[in-house]
Amino acid sequence: MSQSLKPYLTAVRYSLTAALNLSNFSSQEVERHNRPEIEVAHQSMELLLNPMHISRNEHEQVLIEPSVNSVRVSIKVKQSDEIEEILVHKFTRFLEQRAENFYILRRVPINNNYSISFLITNQHTETMKVNKLVDFIIEFMEEVDKEISEMKLFLNARARFVAEAYLSEFVY
Amino acid sequence: MLHLPSNNLLLQKTINEAIEAYAQGKPIILDRIVSDFDHTTFHVSTPETNNGDIDREQLLLSITTRAWASILNTTNATLPKLQEFLLAKLQLPANVASLPQQVEQGYDFTVALNLSALAVEHLDTLSLLKVYILSYPFQFAIEEFVQLSNAIVDEAEEGIKQSEKIYRIDYRNDESFYIRSSSDRITVCFQTTFQDETDQIFGKVFIQEFVDSRKRNRSIQSSPQVLYSNEPPLEIKSEVKSLSPTKNNNNFITFVLFPRHLSNPELQFKTISTLCLFRNYFHYHIKCSKAYLHSRMRYRVGTFVKVLNRAKVEKADDESESAGTKKDLERRTFTGKKMVY
Repeated sequence: MSQSLKPYLTAVRYSLTAALNLSNFSSQEVERHNRPEIEVAHQSMELLLNPMHISRNEHEQVLIEPSVNSVRVSIKVKQSDEIEEILVHKFTRFLEQRAENFYILRRVPINNNYSISFLITNQHTETMKVNKLVDFIIEFMEEVDKEISEMKLFLNARARFVAEAYLSEFVY
Repeated sequence: MLHLPSNNLLLQKTINEAIEAYAQGKPIILDRIVSDFDHTTFHVSTPETNNGDIDREQLLLSITTRAWASILNTTNATLPKLQEFLLAKLQLPANVASLPQQVEQGYDFTVALNLSALAVEHLDTLSLLKVYILSYPFQFAIEEFVQLSNAIVDEAEEGIKQSEKIYRIDYRNDESFYIRSSSDRITVCFQTTFQDETDQIFGKVFIQEFVDSRKRNRSIQSSPQVLYSNEPPLEIKSEVKSLSPTKNNNNFITFVLFPRHLSNPELQFKTISTLCLFRNYFHYHIKCSKAYLHSRMRYRVGTFVKVLNRAKVEKADDESESAGTKKDLERRTFTGKKMVY
């Protein structure tokens, strides 16, 4: 792990642990509704807490938006060139299509600035251990970077191999 | 499968089947369509005789390819001339293969095969029929190349002579390749399009490697030089159809063939058949990479789900057996304790 990655991940870990202090909260606007308050545009701003924006550099950022009964975590995965952009786009879309397996994954990121978003509600923290959830987010961040760079390396290696194999057909 | 073979295996097998059945005295009636790359279709059928019977001794092999019209057009060849050329290329004895009176409806070229004389060793050339069609303009280009290079030697002229003729072969709906010879080389330029943005970016990575690998790897330095540009190269600019700026169809990959790739007919054919498959090879490997990445991502999803499932609270055995509604069991605090309301 590089020198600057560790403090970044540590900051995310502590902020996220602090934000995941959720309680069951019925809607105070609509009767018999219990909804993630962070996802609802509403009048009662007292239910939302200050969002936390952790940024390693312009390509790698995390936005944590806490509320009384839900937390939204948006991650921007490093994309330094157009190949990585495509790979990240494909990978996150692939995950989002399988969001039902991930419980906490949001089907779309909150906006185009972020690659992928998670929505953790009080129901999740009641059925899962919070520290393990945080572990998952951190591991996800580490692994995604690794996976993307491995895929890029693979693509280059394959292209090189294929090109050399084709051209060697012409060597007489 | 790294290399795509230039012969058509299915065609080979189909005709082989017919030969074997005929040899066993039980000729089969065939009416089979076999596909190949670049909108090429073969049709193997048992013909009817004039009085409406089925002629079990004969077999008709027809081919249609997108490139046919443009090959006739660009070489100014007449239809019989091209048909003669193909028949000669098949290298079959006169009692085996002949040109029927009429080309089958909807196809470009038909050859009638006599099953009683057709042998298994004739199948090699038959299955290469598509390559032979595409090699027709190459033959012209090579002839011109020989003429031009001889002219240079004879007249002891300085510089390079370039042929005026550019052969354009439209072998797919909106993709073409161009051939132009000069006194010291033959340039073959492929214009290719990409289906979507992903293909385009992957394609760029691949093309870059095609361009670079010759410089990097010394063992393949005698291969043709590969060049890439977004603009039509100067040699063929006059022949290139006007490009629409919105479509990503202005990718030009140029192969520069040197005399050593054309030194004898055998090498010529090998060079041509490898080149004819370039587009297929290139796009095939882009698709393969995508497929591999897909399966890799699928595996990744599995490992991520595993990590996430570690977070789930295990249900204690005694609790799950005890009575009580399901809802009660699922309501827990973040430490895993049962919620009490």
